[in-house]
Amino acid sequence: MTTALPVAKLATPALAMTNEEYAKFCEFFYRKTGIQFVDSKKYYVERRVADRIAKTNSGSFRDYFTLVRFQMSGQEMQSLVNAMTVNETYFFREDYQFDSLVKGILPEIARTKPRGKPIRIWSMPCSSGEEPYSIAIKILELWSSSDAWDIEIHASDIDTKILDEARAGIYGERSLSRVPLATKRQYFVRRPDGNHQISAALRNSIDFSLVNIVDPLQTRRFRDFDVIFCRNLLIYFDDPGRREAAEMFFEALAPGGFLCLGHSESMSRISSIFAPRKFQDSIVYQKPFAAE
Amino acid sequence: MPLVRTGPPDPDVATKLADRGYEVLVAELWNTDSRIRRAAVRDLAELPAGAPGHAMALCDRLDVETSPSVRSAIMARLILLGTPDVAERLTDHLHSDDAQLRNVAIEALQEMPQAVAPLLDRLLDDEDSDVRIFAVNILAALCLEQAPERLAAVIRTDPHVNVCVAALDGLVEVGGIDMISDIENLGARFAENAFMRFAVDTAIRRIRGA
Repeated sequence: MTTALPVAKLATPALAMTNEEYAKFCEFFYRKTGIQFVDSKKYYVERRVADRIAKTNSGSFRDYFTLVRFQMSGQEMQSLVNAMTVNETYFFREDYQFDSLVKGILPEIARTKPRGKPIRIWSMPCSSGEEPYSIAIKILELWSSSDAWDIEIHASDIDTKILDEARAGIYGERSLSRVPLATKRQYFVRRPDGNHQISAALRNSIDFSLVNIVDPLQTRRFRDFDVIFCRNLLIYFDDPGRREAAEMFFEALAPGGFLCLGHSESMSRISSIFAPRKFQDSIVYQKPFAAE
Repeated sequence: MPLVRTGPPDPDVATKLADRGYEVLVAELWNTDSRIRRAAVRDLAELPAGAPGHAMALCDRLDVETSPSVRSAIMARLILLGTPDVAERLTDHLHSDDAQLRNVAIEALQEMPQAVAPLLDRLLDDEDSDVRIFAVNILAALCLEQAPERLAAVIRTDPHVNVCVAALDGLVEVGGIDMISDIENLGARFAENAFMRFAVDTAIRRIRGA
């Protein structure tokens, strides 16, 4: 998972961007990524832009902006995105979205889905498993109707090593920092090395699988999902890649199914084939029931 | 526990779905069921490279397609192809009365800079000022080195105020100091237009970066 709020200071000297340059940069970066920086983030943006200016041997902000703006390969744009974002994952990250799942999305699915059919959820990329396990725990803890349904949780990633970690379900304190003690006691087993392992019952209830999101032959076997979580991945794709991903999600969702993206991502900027919906504090994207 | 595990999706599904040939898939582009048309678009993309005609088959379907999801699938494929003949066909839709089709055509053309570049002169000279505005919108979004100069040429010569404002908007992001005199001249050319005065001031301030 990724955040657009940088957390570490860089060693590179700060670049003095004028307010007009900062505004121009922010407008461009927002248009390309959907990530918005407010005025109070100017210091952080400047430090990272200065770092990229140094690494690309650009002489000035103007030279660097020209490079990013006109480079056909988009390579520097990608490096800039990487510099502006931080990869981290832990349990219940951005959990307002999980709350929306159990308080709004699942109850709505339960109202329209025929009894006897399972509710299917796909978490991808699942990384080391914090997201699918968080989804499972939230459902078990907070959705009162969960016992009335069979619920399948599928979790996929492109990285076989990280999938092995997800299946093992062993986490350090940092990953569990937002897990309440009672939840920890119920769903985790403390190991002799001080780490915690997800209970066997929970580990065995999730299907982990290898998938490359941009390979249609791999993704086409994922169908009829009621909810897909794909958070903070699309910002790393170029525009055609994002568009292809949107098409894949559309195929993978059941009619009326929901797509949950990261907080800085917006499907409305990628494709108009989904309808935006608001549940509590989350905007999610719904495939129309009668997909025309 | 309500969580159930059914095993990963069947890997054989891929081969089961992908065994229809080119002729069948092209025929399915014209099926009355939009779901079949959409599936045909997606499956055509996965045929081996021996189906070179499928780009034009998709363009033919796009000409009459009304389903948003099928249009979207066709556009995603055409953008990936990004060939000059695809770009040429997409420019036809800039004249369309269908705003949604026009907009997706503009977005698609913005994502194929090499293919659309040779077509821009013609579009920027189109007698319809709306088409010239769309052409400016496309040009302003392209990662083409010559884009700033071509936008500057628009503000020097185009007679329509809205076309010039669109070009000026593009120059706010990509314009250089050397274009400020052109921008000032534009302001003089439309001196009676209050919005133009505002746009010119904003552009100059942003380009100077101060």
